[in-house]
Amino acid sequence: MSNEYKKPIPVMQPWTKEFWKGTKKSQLLIQECNDCQSKIFYPRQYCPECWSGNLKWSQASGKATVYSFTTTQDMVEPKFWADLPYVLALVDLEEGIRMMTRIVDCDPETVKIGMDVEVVFEDITDECALPMFRPVS
Amino acid sequence: MSKGLAIIGVGEVPTAINPERSRWDIIYEVCRQAVQDAGISKDEIEGVVTVAPQAQPRLAAEISFGKIPEELGLNGCKDICTCNAGGSSTSNCLRMAENWIENGLAKFVLIPHVTVHSTIPIEDTINFFAQAGMDLQWEYPFGTTYNGIMAMSTRRFMYETGTTEEQMASVVTALRKWAKLDPNSLFYGKKAPSIEEVLSSKMVSSPLHKRECNMLADGGSAMVVTSAEIAREMKVKAAYKLGEGVRYLKACSILRDIQLIADGTRDSTDQALKQAGISKEDIDMWNIYLAYPFGHPLFLEAVGICEKGQAGKFIMEGHTSPGGKLPCSTIGDAIGRGHTGSGVSTATYVETARQLMGKAGERQVPDIKYVYQNTAGGSGMNNIATIWGRESHE
Repeated sequence: MSNEYKKPIPVMQPWTKEFWKGTKKSQLLIQECNDCQSKIFYPRQYCPECWSGNLKWSQASGKATVYSFTTTQDMVEPKFWADLPYVLALVDLEEGIRMMTRIVDCDPETVKIGMDVEVVFEDITDECALPMFRPVS
Repeated sequence: MSKGLAIIGVGEVPTAINPERSRWDIIYEVCRQAVQDAGISKDEIEGVVTVAPQAQPRLAAEISFGKIPEELGLNGCKDICTCNAGGSSTSNCLRMAENWIENGLAKFVLIPHVTVHSTIPIEDTINFFAQAGMDLQWEYPFGTTYNGIMAMSTRRFMYETGTTEEQMASVVTALRKWAKLDPNSLFYGKKAPSIEEVLSSKMVSSPLHKRECNMLADGGSAMVVTSAEIAREMKVKAAYKLGEGVRYLKACSILRDIQLIADGTRDSTDQALKQAGISKEDIDMWNIYLAYPFGHPLFLEAVGICEKGQAGKFIMEGHTSPGGKLPCSTIGDAIGRGHTGSGVSTATYVETARQLMGKAGERQVPDIKYVYQNTAGGSGMNNIATIWGRESHE
């Protein structure tokens, strides 16, 4: 599979590998600080609030709402041409985390700010899947 | 010890798409112009602090390793440095120069910039702008672009404030009206597109149309700076730095919402005004550099010039355009000037200086005393606010 995927693959850090492992099991993992209870995204080596290294992973529900979005239609790298048009979006998870993603499995014209969406994983390599979101049916 | 900072000379080549013109040819011209404009000799330049050229690694290396004073024969030069903070690089060059001048390391410092996009292979340019300022793990794999990130901020801003697409398009019309009057703009002498023409241009990344996105271009400019005290003694026309305020926001777009951007813009602006000892009502020209149209109404609302939701209407009524009561961005920001990488921030400072020196030609704001200028880097990681005056406050 990894030989076929021509688009950019997430450049991981040692402390983010757990997140990407989760995506292969269709789990959306978020970090939490055991000391100050902050919810952390994107994953860090140390808590960005209190610098504790005592961090844990918990599974998010995968439910989110659209914060904003754009239908990308032109002026992208050739490696993304085949995807055009695609809906790039920022979504807010129930857990209070905002993520960059794409809204998939729908007509781009129907996407709205505040719309309810849920995570769906697109397998791209043996190491990771990209968390995309689709409208809640 | 010689306190304060003043711009006493500027130089610039027209922003254009001109692959025939080499980077070093442009450096010669803008530096010679700036030194001549300052009325000093080349050997009086004691420091060169260069704005980092983006997407041009060979040029960046040559400059960072000291080629400018040698190539140009700046025989009094004591040291060089390159500052890179993306679109806020020039603000850092000015700070570095101010530090050298205050510490007695240099009396006159030259701050040049050059970027030639048109000779970079197009795929390298697209690739550079697709990756620079993007997180390679949490943004880039999804197909983000600068246009896409700004489009999402634009849509959210419109949603929160009720700003219409016509009002957003009117920002482009206003900026291009300034560009029409600027001999150094890519769009000099060209009719500004109407709101309808902006909205009928191809959709690039909704809600941003092609005319709401920047056009990459080649350009260069330079400034000569010295202390406020020396500028006064020289009795030359100058722009005096009176105040500065800064806020770092966040690098990754997922961690920046409209409120964070607005708060950072307001706080840095208030800090700069306070340091200058003036209020926002004293500002005669708001030289806003935010690269994309939505930044303008967001800015006007964040600093309290317009009520929330009213800035789009204010801009559409023409108040920020030539002849309006609140001139903003008299080179037309990156939309009107053409995008020269970090160089738009240099060109904007050059315009701040020109306006205060009374050298802004058809764009000259009458009786101008104070100019506000901001810069921002990356995909909007910070806001640097500065206040400049025609006279020093010391």
